[in-house]
Amino acid sequence: MSHKFSRRKFLRNSLLGTGAMTLGFPALNVNAQEHRIRCGVVTSLSGANRFGGNLTRRGYDLWAEEINKLGGIEIAGKRYPVEMFYGDAQSRPASGADAAERLIIQDKVDVLFGPYTSGVTLAVQPISQKYRVPMISGSAESPNVWLAKPAFNFGMIPAVDLTTDKSMVVLADTLGDRAKTAAVIGVDEPFSKETAEGFRKGVEESGLDLLSYELFPAESDLSAIVSKLKSSNPDIVAVGGHESVFINFVNTAKALNYKPKALIMHYGVTSAAFINETGSGSNGILGVSVWTAGLPYKDELFGTASDYSDLSFSRWGTRPDYTEAACSASGLVLQDAARRLGKAPPWDQGTRAELAKAIEDTDIETFYGPVGFAKEGSHYHNNTRPVPVVIQIKNGDVVPVAPEKAAKGELVYPIPGTS
Amino acid sequence: MDLFLQTLVNGILIGGILICLTIGFQLTFGVLHVIDFAVGGWAMLGGYTAYWLVTLAGIDPFISIFLVFALFLLIGRGLGPLIYRVRTSRYARPDLMALAFTFGIFLFMRGGALWLWSYNSRSVESVLSGQFLSLGPVTIPLMRLSAFLMALLFSLGLFILLYRSRFGMAVRALAQNRDHAGLMGVDVKRVSAWVYGIYTGLTASAGVLIATIYSVNPTVGIRYTLFAFFVAVLAGLGSVGGVLVAGLALGLLEAYVATYIGARYSLLIVFGTLYLALLVAPKGVLGRGI
Repeated sequence: MSHKFSRRKFLRNSLLGTGAMTLGFPALNVNAQEHRIRCGVVTSLSGANRFGGNLTRRGYDLWAEEINKLGGIEIAGKRYPVEMFYGDAQSRPASGADAAERLIIQDKVDVLFGPYTSGVTLAVQPISQKYRVPMISGSAESPNVWLAKPAFNFGMIPAVDLTTDKSMVVLADTLGDRAKTAAVIGVDEPFSKETAEGFRKGVEESGLDLLSYELFPAESDLSAIVSKLKSSNPDIVAVGGHESVFINFVNTAKALNYKPKALIMHYGVTSAAFINETGSGSNGILGVSVWTAGLPYKDELFGTASDYSDLSFSRWGTRPDYTEAACSASGLVLQDAARRLGKAPPWDQGTRAELAKAIEDTDIETFYGPVGFAKEGSHYHNNTRPVPVVIQIKNGDVVPVAPEKAAKGELVYPIPGTS
Repeated sequence: MDLFLQTLVNGILIGGILICLTIGFQLTFGVLHVIDFAVGGWAMLGGYTAYWLVTLAGIDPFISIFLVFALFLLIGRGLGPLIYRVRTSRYARPDLMALAFTFGIFLFMRGGALWLWSYNSRSVESVLSGQFLSLGPVTIPLMRLSAFLMALLFSLGLFILLYRSRFGMAVRALAQNRDHAGLMGVDVKRVSAWVYGIYTGLTASAGVLIATIYSVNPTVGIRYTLFAFFVAVLAGLGSVGGVLVAGLALGLLEAYVATYIGARYSLLIVFGTLYLALLVAPKGVLGRGI
């Protein structure tokens, strides 16, 4: 029997075969993994913010590993393992938005875990909203993220204006009559300005006398600002900025023989880099942290805050900061909401909207602290519950000093050698 | 009055840092007619190299300045012929090509630094860090004072090199007319390459001082490129002497504006004033030329 080769037939069959494979395999793939919860992580795995981006990834991954050890998230009496998918934002908002879209369309994730920086988060949250995929952001701290009233995005760390505001009140309460005046300075760029605004609000709320408030460009030489502070000599100096500005401020103040009685900054002062670069100049500097390992919080998965710190240390080789902790706690929020939702994955658009509603109603205690999202106002969907901890650097160690229930050491005021 | 005097000192010392940063940049423009956009990148790399020398080898920053100068002198000398080739190429606008080329070098440096050091800021401790002189109400940081003195030393060294050596004579001849200098027996290519080497050495050394006073991170380069560019324009492009006056003027202006009007407006007013100054003296404060 002879078979005549038909080019037309061959092409038709090839096309049909390729089409079937293209359409069929993803379907098979999804069906095969139906019993898993697919979690997408959009963060900066490369670029300028890759260090912080990888911290967020560590936090999310640690939760995934721990919950999978138990067999996954429990929903209606059955456990569903989680599977992590990653999208590299490359430290750029536009790339973050692209990565989120790829995760949703190609990897068919059920839920997203949010980026490291607020800029990327602002670019990603419209994508999560467009496809109705809930996103839990373990890192973003800018109030602008929540001012946009994102329906599907939820933030674990209180916005920076809240943390600096509350920390100043905590600090003023702890100092009592010993401090009466304050000055606030900050870099004139969004995050630092919001930090400075928060400090200013805290100064006003705590009844301190605000002697000066000044914003300056990041590239400024700080000798003029330090000279003015030295001349007015407030009891507390608060600085809004990033690590490089903090280092420059400390070095410039040291060179001009000025040491404020209390100097408070924000995220960055607890980093090993800041302490290394400023040397003895870091001694006595105050900072704000949303979480430390010494806090009396706990949950069923991670145990106490201290247990979490030990676990993270044994997994990654370094102690976690509050960003890592908040990212791990993001997973706790998801598992609690999924349990309350009670519907097995995969989740369609309608179910994902119900999941978002369940996340909105979160009210849990975790090793990271209490979690509950604002349902209205300027901090919409931001977890406003944690009370910031005021830390002080003592001989290179980061020691929580206020509020009283979190304190592990005495608040030193004024710093020895003060002007 | 105390604050006024302190501001005077602050301004002069900021001027010293600007002079340090710009003096080599001026030389290379005067000779090669290249506006080197990589100036901030060289300063950044000088700062990081000093950080390595201090932390890994335990070498004091004041000794590391000389090592950094020597290292970058050789790097610049190696790169010089390439810059020269671009600058003298047959493109319609070789000056723009050279500008784009140096911008490319700058981007390469910035990307490389981000890859090597991420975004981490580094600063360098010296025996003078945190040391100061008190003259009544005025505090003079010794590190900034040493940067100022170093700027004067660089200027003096350049002056001697340019006006008291055969190499300097060749450099000045080249600055006046490249073709005629070549006809008179000057090895134009070689002298240009060494000039580029001296520039990179000086700028990287300025970076060491910057790392001891402020801090250095991969993104600071653009800031120092801008400062160097504006001091150079006010000085008169190519005028090494003008850098001394322009650097001091900008330093004082920035310090007084930041103290009495507000740091937020200092760059706005400083650069606004710069434009006005250029309307009055378009060739810069001391005119053009070496």
